[in-house]
Amino acid sequence: MPFKEKSAWVMGAIMLATGLWYAQLVAAAPDAPVIGPLIPYVLAVIVLSIVAQVGLAIASPKEANAPADEREKIVIDRAGHWSGIVMGVLALAACATYAAAPDGVMLFYSIIGALILAQLAEYVFQIVLFRRAL
Amino acid sequence: MGKRPPITNRVRDLREEHGKLSQAALGEAVGVTRHTIIAIEQGRYSPSLETAFRIARLFGCGVEDVFGWEGE
Repeated sequence: MPFKEKSAWVMGAIMLATGLWYAQLVAAAPDAPVIGPLIPYVLAVIVLSIVAQVGLAIASPKEANAPADEREKIVIDRAGHWSGIVMGVLALAACATYAAAPDGVMLFYSIIGALILAQLAEYVFQIVLFRRAL
Repeated sequence: MGKRPPITNRVRDLREEHGKLSQAALGEAVGVTRHTIIAIEQGRYSPSLETAFRIARLFGCGVEDVFGWEGE
């Protein structure tokens, strides 16, 4: 498995786990200030990402230091393009919902959710593209 | 699975003809990863023109001796 695919699996798992945890934090205290659950979530994503990337780099130091080759660049570019579309669609849906029923807190959570889902989608697209014919 | 590119290649045969050159060694010599060489050999990826030339030159032959169009 290419190093960048391993990285996508690990980062995807981190985004999924931390995203679910964030949703749980929000659901547990729906009336709390929106910044409350966001800070531990962001810290968890940063710390887990650093630990995971360091672990992967220790396991495969040569591959970790190598720049992306031509196929990997195509995979990363396409996955980024498609996840951008996911982000755009979800952000527009959040704005449309806000226009229909103005609720700033819901808009905030919708945009945060869109960011998390788009990032998760990027890792999924990378994994799919690494495994299929380009 | 995505549609396979209509390009055939003899990379695996040429590697074996050249002293069983490993996929990793070939990849390193032409500037791609071992996994990209595997994808090329399996027909899942058509390399850039530059990489195709690098592979052909490494084996001492022309690009058309390494790569071909499906059905020809």
